[in-house]
Amino acid sequence: MKYSYITPGKKTAFTQEIQLLLSFFTITILMLLFTYTFLLYKNYTFVQDKNSTLRELASLEKSFDNMKVSISFIERQQMLSEKVYTQNSVLKDSITNLFDLVPLRITLSEASLLENGLILYGITPNKDVYNFMLQAPLRSIFHRTYSSFYPAKNGWLRFVSTNYIDEEEELSSED
Amino acid sequence: MKINISRQYIYLMVVSLFLFIFVLVFSFAVLIPEGKEYRIKRVELKKTNKELREYENFHNETLETLQDLKSKNRRIITAFDATFNPSRFEKQNKNYFSSLSISEVNFLKVEKDFAIYEVNTTSEISSPSTFYDFLDSVNKSDWIIAVNFPINFKRDGELIKSSFTMKVYCNNKDSNITASSSVDK
Repeated sequence: MKYSYITPGKKTAFTQEIQLLLSFFTITILMLLFTYTFLLYKNYTFVQDKNSTLRELASLEKSFDNMKVSISFIERQQMLSEKVYTQNSVLKDSITNLFDLVPLRITLSEASLLENGLILYGITPNKDVYNFMLQAPLRSIFHRTYSSFYPAKNGWLRFVSTNYIDEEEELSSED
Repeated sequence: MKINISRQYIYLMVVSLFLFIFVLVFSFAVLIPEGKEYRIKRVELKKTNKELREYENFHNETLETLQDLKSKNRRIITAFDATFNPSRFEKQNKNYFSSLSISEVNFLKVEKDFAIYEVNTTSEISSPSTFYDFLDSVNKSDWIIAVNFPINFKRDGELIKSSFTMKVYCNNKDSNITASSSVDK
């Protein structure tokens, strides 16, 4: 016996409500997954960028260290060259002063400039000329002055003047 | 009282609850920690980039200082790099002397980063003023040369025989280096 004139439709678990629900959750989950993938990708790129920045920083540090070494070396070169140039200039002044020190009446035959002394060989008309005109200024410069004389053929006197600066006294006077 | 809920609604509620729990767990267990990490890493990267920029500026300033120093001291740097060449030295300074002879170049010592070579020189000059000119020219020569004691002047007729020692300073390329291998003779 038939109770209905229409044929019954097939019953399914995916009803319209379920379909709506699944669509909503599918969209939600997809959004969550998209966000998660985005975060994963960004974190990966951040790590890569940071590593590359750190590598660049390390390379800059190395280059900076090399530059510092170069700067310090050039500065030392500059200091040494200035010291050498000053030494040469001082030497020139010392030699100029030495030759200016010798009076016209005394003739030098040899001069030896030592690290801490001066040896002069020459000829003088007499001892007084030597003592007043050469030995006096030499005594004011050097700590120890020794002179010896021997007669020359023309009646003049040959002399050897040895003069030294004592380094210890020099240092203590500087202190 | 009997609550009559159809099986379909129970099924709907179970699926909703399951999906809701999944979304919650996924958000709190995975997404939020990853988001926190993202924020930390972004701040770290910004900090590192800022540090790099600052260091770059500092590096560029130092580079500028180095280049400035190099350009100002070009002659000195070249002079320290140059190996002493006695024949070239003679050629450059022969105008100051009536005669000039230079002995063999001897390695003296290494002082800090610089090798020092010693050269003995004998010469004849017409007057002391030419020796002063020579001392001036030594400071402008191709090498770093210090004229050193003992210096001897001896009258020889119209000329003055002079002998002096020169110290040549150059970069110490190798501490085991010998005078014959490093200095042109």
